[in-house]
Amino acid sequence: MSVSIKANKALFDNRRMSDQMYITLLVASVAVGLFLIASMWVPNFFQLQNMLNLVTNNWAVISLGVGVSFLLVSGNFDLSVGGIVALSGVLSVWLVQSMGGANALSSGLGLPYWLALLGALAGAMAIGGLNALFVVKFRIPSIIVTLGTMMVARGIAQVITQGSQRNTNLPDEFGVLGSLKVFGTSIQLPVVFMAVLLLVAIFIERKMIFGRLTYWIGANPVAARLSGIDNARHITYLYLFSSAIAGVVGILLSSEFQSGYSNRGMLMEFDALVIALLGGIAIAGGFGSVIGMFFGAIILAVVTSAATGLTLSPDWQFILKAVAVFLAIMAQTWALTRRNQ
Amino acid sequence: MTIQQQSPVLSVEGLIKDYPGVRAVDDVSFSIESSSVHCLVGENGAGKSTLIKMLTGALQPTQGVMKVNGVVYQPNSTQDARESGIATLFQELHVVDELSVLENLTLGMEQNRFGFIIKSDLEDRVIQTLATIEPSINPSARVSSLSVAQKQIIEIARAASSGANVIIMDEPTAALSEREVERLFTVIRRLREQQVTVVYISHKLDEILTLGDSVTVLRDGKHIVTKPLSEVAGRSELIDMMIGRSVFQNYTARTAVTNEVVLSAKGLSNRLLKDVSFDINKGEIVGFYGLVGAGKTEIARALFGADKVSGSIVFKGQQVGSSPKEAIAAGIALVPEERRTQGLFTNLTIRENIPVMNIRRMSDNGIFRSADELTAAVNYVEKLGIATDSIEKHTEKLSGGNQQKVVLAKCLFSDADLLLLDEPTRGVDVGAKTEIYDIIKNLADAGNSVALFSSELEEVLGICDRIFLLYCGSLKSVIINGPNVDTTDILNVVTGGNKGVTQ
Repeated sequence: MSVSIKANKALFDNRRMSDQMYITLLVASVAVGLFLIASMWVPNFFQLQNMLNLVTNNWAVISLGVGVSFLLVSGNFDLSVGGIVALSGVLSVWLVQSMGGANALSSGLGLPYWLALLGALAGAMAIGGLNALFVVKFRIPSIIVTLGTMMVARGIAQVITQGSQRNTNLPDEFGVLGSLKVFGTSIQLPVVFMAVLLLVAIFIERKMIFGRLTYWIGANPVAARLSGIDNARHITYLYLFSSAIAGVVGILLSSEFQSGYSNRGMLMEFDALVIALLGGIAIAGGFGSVIGMFFGAIILAVVTSAATGLTLSPDWQFILKAVAVFLAIMAQTWALTRRNQ
Repeated sequence: MTIQQQSPVLSVEGLIKDYPGVRAVDDVSFSIESSSVHCLVGENGAGKSTLIKMLTGALQPTQGVMKVNGVVYQPNSTQDARESGIATLFQELHVVDELSVLENLTLGMEQNRFGFIIKSDLEDRVIQTLATIEPSINPSARVSSLSVAQKQIIEIARAASSGANVIIMDEPTAALSEREVERLFTVIRRLREQQVTVVYISHKLDEILTLGDSVTVLRDGKHIVTKPLSEVAGRSELIDMMIGRSVFQNYTARTAVTNEVVLSAKGLSNRLLKDVSFDINKGEIVGFYGLVGAGKTEIARALFGADKVSGSIVFKGQQVGSSPKEAIAAGIALVPEERRTQGLFTNLTIRENIPVMNIRRMSDNGIFRSADELTAAVNYVEKLGIATDSIEKHTEKLSGGNQQKVVLAKCLFSDADLLLLDEPTRGVDVGAKTEIYDIIKNLADAGNSVALFSSELEEVLGICDRIFLLYCGSLKSVIINGPNVDTTDILNVVTGGNKGVTQ
C-alpha cells in the first residue's frame, strides 16, 4: 500500500465533522444548556455537588445504558435488563442466606459469598443467553424476545422472594460492595464501576474492531454477512455482555440496600432505552455512541431533578420526561435532515 | 409514423436547477410530442434524475418554465403531477404483494361510503385497461405470484387507468430478462397507440434504438440535442453525443489465462440448480450468461457460501461453500446482485465501507487500524476513480457507478484471488461501465480469477474468456470467446434450445 497522501490532500481536507460527532455535540450542548437554564430557576442547582449527583445518582441506569446502546447500534433491543437487575440481586441474596432460618424468606442456600456472586452473575447471563438464542437462532424480533425474558427474569425473582423481599440472615460482608467508599473519598464503588465501564465501552466502540463490527451489523446486516462477518456470534456476545452488566448492577444494588427485592430495577429497561435514544442512537441501528447515551442520561437527570427542585408534584414527572424525549428526538431528526440536505 | 403538428404534450424552457455549488440542470429546453416514445439519455450525473424529479414535482426548479399541453405547470408533489396527467414508474416497484392485481390497480382510488368500500365501475374500467395492455395477467391473481416484469406492467396499468397521458419510466428494464423486455416493449407500443406519451430513460442504448421515436441527450446538465431517432445513425452516434468518445468493447484474447484450476465445482444442486459442474482457471475471466431465473445468482451465492447447496466446491484444494466468512478467508469475494441492500453500508462513509471484508488485516490484537483505513480509502478512491470530493462522503449520496466502485474496492481490499461479480454494471452509466471492465481485466491480468454473472450478452462477450450458458438451472454449454462466436446460437441456448430467438 504505497500511496502518497500528499497528492490526495483534498480527499482528507474535505473531510468534515462526522454526523456522529455532530449529534453527540448537539446532545452535549442540550444537556449543558438545560443545566444552565435549570440553574436560573431552581435554587441551589448550580453547584459542583449537584452536578456530581446528577451523574452518581444515575449510575445504575447509565451502566445498563452501555449494554443497551451497543445492542441498539447493532439493530437489536434489550428490554430484559430491568428484570435481570431484580433476578441477579435476588439470587445473590438467596444463595448466600444461611440455611434453616426462622421462615422461608430468611433461609437460603448458605453458599460462600463469592460463589453466590458467581451464581447471581450466571443467572443473569443465562437470561442474556436466552435472548441471544431466540434472536439469533430462531430469528424472533428482539423486542418480543427481550420483553418476554424481562418477565421471565422478574418472574423468577418474584418466586424466590414470594413477591416480597429477602433481607435477613445475611453475612456481614454482604453490604460492603454497594457502599464501599473508594480512594478515601465519598465516591462509592458502584460509581467507579460505572465510570470504568463507560471508559472501556468508549474505547471498544471507537478504537476496537469489536465496535466497528457492531456498526457494520447495525448499518446493514445482510451486507455484513456477505462481507464475512459472523453476525450471530457478535450479537450473542452483545446480549451476554449486556446481561452481565445488568447482573453486576443487580448485585451492587442488593448489596447497597442489603436486600433482594423482586421489584427492584422496575422500568429501568425503559429508562436505559430512553437515555440511549435521547443520546442520538438510531432506533434502526448503525448510528449512535455511548458518549451520546451518557449525555442523554444527563438530560433526563437534569429534567427530573429540576422538577423536584421546583417542588413540582412527582405525578408530573412522567409528562415532563415525555416532553423532553419528544423534543430531543425531534430536534435530532431535524438537525440531521437539515445537515444532509 | 406521422406526428401531427400540435402543441407538445410536455415542454421545458430554460430549466435550471442549482444545488449548493453545482448546477445539476443547466438551461435545458426541449419539447415532447404527443403519443410518442421519447427517450432521455445521458451518463450518470448528466442531470436526467434531477430533470425527472422536477417534472414529477419532487424538486422545484431554480428557474425556468415547464408546460403541459401549452399550459404552465408547477407541480409541488407527485400527487400534483399525477393530477396533471403525468405518472412515473420508478426503479423501485410500488406494488403491494399481499393484495390481488385488481386491488393493486384500484389502490387509493376506491370509492367509499361511511368508510366502507363500495362497488363501482372503477373495477371494470381498470380490468379493461389491463386487458388492453397485457391480457395474460389475471386480475384476481395475487401480486406476490407475479414476476418482476408483470409487477411493472401492473404499475403501468395503474398509471394508465388513472388517466395519465404521460408516463415517465426510469430504467424500467434494469431487473428484467431479455424476453421480459420484449414484452414490456409490446406494452409500451400499445400505450402509444392509446395516445399515451412515454418518456423512457435507460442506459441500454439498444433498447432506445429499438423502441424510441425521438431522443433527448443530456451531458453535464446541459441539453445537447433533441431529434427523431430516425435521424440518428446508430449507437455510435448516440454514444458520441453522450460522452464524446467511443466505448465499444471488443474482446481480444488475453495472455494471462493459464490452465491451472483454482476452483472446481461438482454437481451443485438445489431447488433451482441441476447438477452444475465447472472449473475456473487462474488468470481467467469466465462469464455465466442466462436469462433472469436461469441460476446465475444462485451459483454465485453457492460458491460464496451464502446459500447452502449440495455438491462439492473446492477452491485451491480446500473445501468451501459453508459460509461467506470461510469463503473470504479462503480468498473468494462476492460483489452481490443488489448493491444497495446487499453490498453497501449506505449510511456509512466511503472510508468506513472499504475495510469490512478484511477484518483480520484491520485488527491489531483487537485494536482497529484507523490509519490503514484512511490510507486504503484514499488509495482505492484514486485507483478506481471514485468520483467524490471526500472519503467521508456517505455512500448513499454517490451515483450508481460510484457506489459499485466502492463495493468493488471492498472486495479488492479483501485480497481475494477469485472475484465473483453478480451483475456488476446494472444501473451503471456507460463511462463507469468501461472503467469497471478495465478494473476487471487488470485484476485478471495480475493473476486473479474473475467470474462474471450477467444478463447482458454484450458485457459477457466483451470481456470473458470462456462463457457458461445457463438455462433453467442447468449448465447447457461452454463457449470459448473469440471472433467467431455466434450470438444467435447463444441466444438460442439460453432461451431453451430450438425455439430460436432472433430479432
